[in-house]
Amino acid sequence: MSDKTMMGIEAVRGYQEDIIEAIPSTIIVVNRNLEILYANRNYYVKSGKRDRNVIGERLSRAFPQMLIEKTRIDDKIREVFLRGEPFDGDQLRYPGGMFYFYKIYPLKEGGEAISKVVIFMENITELTRLEEELRESYVKLENAYEDLKENDKVKSEFISTASHELRTPLTVINSYIEMFEEGMLGDLNEAQREKIQIIRSQTDHMIRLVEDMLDASRLESKKFKANKSPMRLEEIARNALDELSRLAGLKEHTMSLKINGSLPEIGGDERRIKQVFNNLLTNAIKYTPEKGVIDVTIEDEPMQVKVSITDNGIGIAKKDQEKIFQKFFTGSGSSLTRESGRMGLGLAIAKGIVEAHNGHIWVESMPGEGSTFTFTLPKYDWN
Amino acid sequence: MVDDAPCMLKAFRDILEASEYEVFEATNGEEALAVYSEVKPDIVLMDILMPKLDGVTATKKILERDPSAKIIVVSAMGKSGLEKECMEAGVKDFILKPFKIQELLASIKSLARG
Repeated sequence: MSDKTMMGIEAVRGYQEDIIEAIPSTIIVVNRNLEILYANRNYYVKSGKRDRNVIGERLSRAFPQMLIEKTRIDDKIREVFLRGEPFDGDQLRYPGGMFYFYKIYPLKEGGEAISKVVIFMENITELTRLEEELRESYVKLENAYEDLKENDKVKSEFISTASHELRTPLTVINSYIEMFEEGMLGDLNEAQREKIQIIRSQTDHMIRLVEDMLDASRLESKKFKANKSPMRLEEIARNALDELSRLAGLKEHTMSLKINGSLPEIGGDERRIKQVFNNLLTNAIKYTPEKGVIDVTIEDEPMQVKVSITDNGIGIAKKDQEKIFQKFFTGSGSSLTRESGRMGLGLAIAKGIVEAHNGHIWVESMPGEGSTFTFTLPKYDWN
Repeated sequence: MVDDAPCMLKAFRDILEASEYEVFEATNGEEALAVYSEVKPDIVLMDILMPKLDGVTATKKILERDPSAKIIVVSAMGKSGLEKECMEAGVKDFILKPFKIQELLASIKSLARG
């Protein structure tokens, strides 16, 4: 024992008995004959033997017989006497659902053989109950997680099957519209032509929605693979801007492309990267009030190429900036105020495509001032 | 033309007959094998997901019996692995539904000539 401990013991010598009596654990001292030499107050309280003195009684009389048979605590005490090593503890179940944890320590007096051991018993009923509850909660949580995963899988499969199934009727509708448009089914008058045009644009829209749904489920199930070949980002950006110039023109937006440095050819899936440009630019056009300015900047950096698409549109609230890349996110307003014609997949798909290329995508935005969507594509394929 | 959707077969028929092609129908892979050996068509338009015998297996069986068969897969299944498997099996073209009529006709025309 350290000097400090000795000094401490010295200081409480006068009332150490009171301290032991006050300890809220059961303490019992027995000799080699397993006769009780001492039991603290807690023992009497817990065992209900308040009015009986157990000093001098054999342990087998003080403890229920069943308990001793179950735990073989007597053998364990003998073992401690024999080896002089403490018994590190075991659980003990009392009738009526009480749990105890006990340890046995040899008491050495000078250099002599061990003549007594002390048994500490702690009521761990509450702890055991909590542990069981925790285990049950854990199992429940695990089951819930499995259910959730299963639901998610079922949902993904449903989306995939539904969009495949939608493709055939869409193909049939699309074919007949085309036959009307091509004059294969006779000449159309002005009114008919106008209606066919409406059916055409709505069918195209439906085809895009179905394609987006398929893409989202593909990206989610990790089935999406980038078919990489050398591509020129400048060209892809120009094509995307050209294709969307009509849409931008409707709102009188100004769109521009700025290239910083000479861009290297990088490996990527051209069709997919074009889709990223399309999705980001379509959003920029849509969420910028008339006569807006949309700039595409491509920068050559040491390890990657960085593409930024900046608009001066309505911007995105801070709290939505993380969520906009989640699929089916269509704004945090109530579901009745959402804009029609969108499923909240464009950015999720863009993110999936960029990440399948080992790149990153993020947004910086101030509500009322505009947004900048940036994505990077690594210049070197480390695989 | 092999497709399990009757309206798709009707659409194929209308498109192709307008371009003066003669067409024969099959609604699954098994029928496709029977019709193929009966009429020996110049070109096969093959769907993939069908009852009884799928389009990939039917394609492989037809090519086994007649390596000169000209098969165009027209499918709603856009998996890249599937396209690769079909092309490796000896399919001449892989067209994804929904397609443009001109795209389909161009593919057929180039095969009919070749």
